[in-house]
Amino acid sequence: MQLLTIETTGASASVALSDQEGNLTLEISSDRMNHLQNLMTMIQSVLEKRSLQIGDVTAIAVSEGPGSFTGIRIGVSAARALAQALSLPVIPVPTLQSFVYQEPSGENFIVSPLFDARRSQVYAGAYRLANPDEREELASDGGILPVVEGKAWDVREYLARLAEEADREVRFYGDGTGAYEKEIMECIETLAGRGIRGSIAKPEHRFQRADSVGMLGMERMIAGKMVNYGQVKPVYMRKAEAERKLEEACQK
Amino acid sequence: MKQQILTLAIESSCDETSAAVVRNGREVLSNIISSQIDVHKVFGGVVPEIASRHHLDNINQVVDQALLESGMTLDDMDMIGVTYGPGLVGALLIGLSTAKAFSLAKGIPLVGVHHLQGHISANYIEHPDLEPPFLALIVSGGHTSLVDVSGYNEMKVIGGTRDDAAGEAFDKVARVLGLGYPGGPLIDRLAKEGNKDAVPFKRVYLEKGSRDFSFSGTKTGVLNYINSEKQAGREINKADVAASFQQAVMEVIVGKAVEAARDLGRDKIVLAGGVAANSCLREMLTEACHEQGLKLYCPSLLLCTDNAAMIGCAAYYRYQEGLVDDLTLDAVPGLPLGSV
Ligand SMILES: [Zn+2]
Repeated sequence: MQLLTIETTGASASVALSDQEGNLTLEISSDRMNHLQNLMTMIQSVLEKRSLQIGDVTAIAVSEGPGSFTGIRIGVSAARALAQALSLPVIPVPTLQSFVYQEPSGENFIVSPLFDARRSQVYAGAYRLANPDEREELASDGGILPVVEGKAWDVREYLARLAEEADREVRFYGDGTGAYEKEIMECIETLAGRGIRGSIAKPEHRFQRADSVGMLGMERMIAGKMVNYGQVKPVYMRKAEAERKLEEACQK
Repeated sequence: MKQQILTLAIESSCDETSAAVVRNGREVLSNIISSQIDVHKVFGGVVPEIASRHHLDNINQVVDQALLESGMTLDDMDMIGVTYGPGLVGALLIGLSTAKAFSLAKGIPLVGVHHLQGHISANYIEHPDLEPPFLALIVSGGHTSLVDVSGYNEMKVIGGTRDDAAGEAFDKVARVLGLGYPGGPLIDRLAKEGNKDAVPFKRVYLEKGSRDFSFSGTKTGVLNYINSEKQAGREINKADVAASFQQAVMEVIVGKAVEAARDLGRDKIVLAGGVAANSCLREMLTEACHEQGLKLYCPSLLLCTDNAAMIGCAAYYRYQEGLVDDLTLDAVPGLPLGSV
């Protein structure tokens, strides 16, 4: 069993190759936003490091979004075409939820990734890894408990909701932590008022990465959440600007 | 040596998602084109983000259909040909990312193709006897170019547009006349009912000896004419305007193409690109070539549009000369032609 994981929704692309024995090879691009150029050679490189061939891969996990629209498309198109050519199943992985595997002991705190969607908007959601006793019933979803729904939010609205719902330590992730640092610091203060700790994740854990996407992918694969290449859909969480404008104009 | 080379080709530079299987460069086994024209019509032009989304939605199915229709599988393919520029970067990358994944998965060569080299190559498919050298006239939504083609992979752009491409000018005029989008075929159809000599719109030849084109002056002339007629309270004969505008544009294009062929000593003119479907252009060019003793080659209407078969043909001739790309091939939205 070899799971190849592709993550291209953020500023730097990453690729992971993992198996059920706990072997993991990770490649993170040092180039920013150069996914189209780098992705295939990164895949070759993780295979080489483990002395494997592309034909040894048994399933492909892909970070489905949200994130950069272009990035999502590069990853999804590559995953689909590899699966099409190699007759492999694909495991689409929700990018926001993958953050529960970004750091160990995920059941002790709530992860809150925020991706900058500009104009005071974020793609955000809050999640927690279920405790072993909560896990059984949630196993089909990788044992993830949603705290705040993942979608396109107004940043203040989202943070207000999070401050209300949080019942334990909160950690913030994603490029939204830079763009909306002020708003997040205010939220951390509100949480502190309720006796709840809040912090921004360390830079090395802050952004989406193929190893955590792959861990959730593995959970989902075991739960049978595999699809055919034709069923892998990008998750943009937002319509194209021209479409929104047209709809607004029609409503007037 | 292998008896045959099979190419899977992919094209996604603008608003058509296309895949084809081509044998030995010129024999098309399948050529599937999924057009987004209806999607973009409501916006009056191609919206890049929407085009990218549709390419992604369609591409794998289009490839499956191309393989199915050719009676081949991906395992039978010897190489992958793909458009890597020019075009919309978000659209190009869907085809390119897919092509690269196929190349890696199957361990077969990847050949990147310039979109216009593809358009020129459509004529090799159409005309089994055609070989370089010749003069190519490319007229499409985004390009109006004269290209001196001295070999399958040797070509030099000797004239291009300095402002709007012919296709863009057609879209603008069609919009002002209330005809809709895309403008080229709509103006062509309406012009058949009009008088091409009704309004003497400006013919822009630029400085003497120039092989470049400029259509913005002619376009502005049409817009000004329509405005002044409206202000004077006169009814506009749309068919006459369409016919006169089309005549003004095509007269310049045909005149420059024929002159360039004569100057360069080429005895063949090859027409290519989406606007090559325009009946006025075809008629005028046929007549002019006949007068000058030049042989004219035109692709069929299907091969005029953006399609993957033409990319597969171009890729084959690049492969023959060892022009193979590696997996880092990037999309180049402003790729110049002739940068072999
Ligand atoms: Zn074209």
